[in-house]
Amino acid sequence: MLYAEYEPTSDPEVAEMIRRNVSKIVVPTLLMALAIASQGFSDYALEIGFRLMVMITLAEAWNLLAGYGGLVSLGTASFVGIGAYALTGLVNNAHLPLYLAIPGAGLAAAMLALLVSRAVFRLRGLYFTVGTLALAEALRMFMVNYDGFGGASGLFLSQDPPGLYALFCIAIGLMAVTTLVITIATASRFSILLRAVRDDEDAAAQIGVKAFRIKLVAFVLASFLMGMAGALQGLKVGTVEPYGMFGIQWTVSVLSIVIIGGQGLRLGPVAGAFFVIALGEVLADYPALHLAITGVILIVVIRFAPKGLVGLARDIAARNKGEAK
Amino acid sequence: MSLPNVEVIAGSLASGLLLGGSLSLIALGLSISLGVMRLVNLAHGELLVCGAYLSYFLLSYLGLDPILGLPLVGALVALVALPFHRLLIAPLAGKGMEAPMMTMFGVSIILQNLLLLAFSADTRNIEASYATQPLILGPVVVPKIYLIGFVVSVVLVWCVHLLVTCTAFGRELRASSADPGAAATLGVDVRRVHALTFSMGAACAAMGGVLIGTAFSFTPSTGATYLLISFAIVVLGGVGNIFGTLVAGVAMGVLQSIGAVVLGDGYRDLVGLVLFLLALALRPAGIVSARA
Repeated sequence: MLYAEYEPTSDPEVAEMIRRNVSKIVVPTLLMALAIASQGFSDYALEIGFRLMVMITLAEAWNLLAGYGGLVSLGTASFVGIGAYALTGLVNNAHLPLYLAIPGAGLAAAMLALLVSRAVFRLRGLYFTVGTLALAEALRMFMVNYDGFGGASGLFLSQDPPGLYALFCIAIGLMAVTTLVITIATASRFSILLRAVRDDEDAAAQIGVKAFRIKLVAFVLASFLMGMAGALQGLKVGTVEPYGMFGIQWTVSVLSIVIIGGQGLRLGPVAGAFFVIALGEVLADYPALHLAITGVILIVVIRFAPKGLVGLARDIAARNKGEAK
Repeated sequence: MSLPNVEVIAGSLASGLLLGGSLSLIALGLSISLGVMRLVNLAHGELLVCGAYLSYFLLSYLGLDPILGLPLVGALVALVALPFHRLLIAPLAGKGMEAPMMTMFGVSIILQNLLLLAFSADTRNIEASYATQPLILGPVVVPKIYLIGFVVSVVLVWCVHLLVTCTAFGRELRASSADPGAAATLGVDVRRVHALTFSMGAACAAMGGVLIGTAFSFTPSTGATYLLISFAIVVLGGVGNIFGTLVAGVAMGVLQSIGAVVLGDGYRDLVGLVLFLLALALRPAGIVSARA
């Protein structure tokens, strides 16, 4: 199994409660501090920070699907693209202010998820994976060929994109929302149901879990977050076109981030995002080589560290602790 | 919108029908690895593109005709694919379907980007002398290569069918597909069968790639489209059903051509993908139910 095992159950529940509540205070405080400190950041730092936060959002959403729900999606690009196009439409045509247009874009992506769920949930994992890939490719081809949304050249945002600092702050906001949503989703009864469905759908259904509904909630929630991340990307670029917004590179990066970081682990997406983006910066001049190397790392991680870097670190830490005793 | 005349419609329907043969061959490769090994080979499209490049260079440097070189391309790719199975897929046995699938996704990323580094994103096509010659049958005009591709594909699909139904290897393959555990108990080397199945699937993809590369053009990123079209055919035809794959492949070719005539050429591939999503939503077990 590619999935990570459950979090260790031997932990006393009290320690778990404390740990969980600490993260509720620490994470928002850190994000606030980051927002204030970032006024002094260079453009390069803001640029990287923005990308990091968009990717973490996407990765957290993907991890909820694949890591906790066993729904390995190759359709990330569809939701990123729909989010970006929806934002442009909502701003250009409906003249919505940004604080409404961004969640609006998330809703558009969630609607798409709802719409295609019937097709992609048919049978088990495999069809979901290939169906989501087909969805992303179909949407990209449609956008390239259909002139109504600007065809291959795309659409421009009618208002000027916000400055880099403002974008960075919006990204912090999005990441705060994501952290909140994913924390609630993974620390509640919902996550137990989701993991039950992941591990054995039939058994879960027999004890009364509504498997389809649980999967649908995870899919819609993840798509909502992905749509907002796409909206932010669209906002930053100021122009949306099919090759950039519906491109397979979104799917590849997000999947690599989560698998390399640690699928099904709470910290996996964050660790993975730092790793993959750092690698991308080192190899910034060789994009094709960067992707090929990412592929190699992906295969090595799947083979030798199925729980990713975070899982590997945890195992090593546990072993050291064991030796110290 | 002005309707195209009858010759254009007849010609593109015939093209669709003939190209459907090559699509079947490609889909068959995917279908057998899915049916026998439960492997979702997400690198299938890149194997196809590798076959096309191999044939392209064999023609450019050695002057080897793509159709005559077809067995060579198939054999070479099958040979290269064997250790791939040993190194990447075999160690993941018993870890579910996701791990091998994601591994093949990794392979697809690697191959695509290595091809990009080596040969750039330029569009190429394999220029056989007969590629552009027209074949005229009454009102129907199609490039001669389409008919050649169709015949070759059907012959190859037939060969695979004979291999699976009439040989000792085929019997082991069917046994491994039905119940790997029981087959192993009865003395079938399941891993060897899987390795050979994988390399047979790769050879089908590569030979299909040669035919596609001769009829159309290709780039390092062409693979994804054919992967998905192949999946659509596998779903429509039923996993592991060789005859179903052939029928579904031809149907897909015709439907794509109709899509291209009605909506415009850019929509050709989109039609296939939409059909796939519809097939998933309505009839996941396949139009022709699975036999294997």
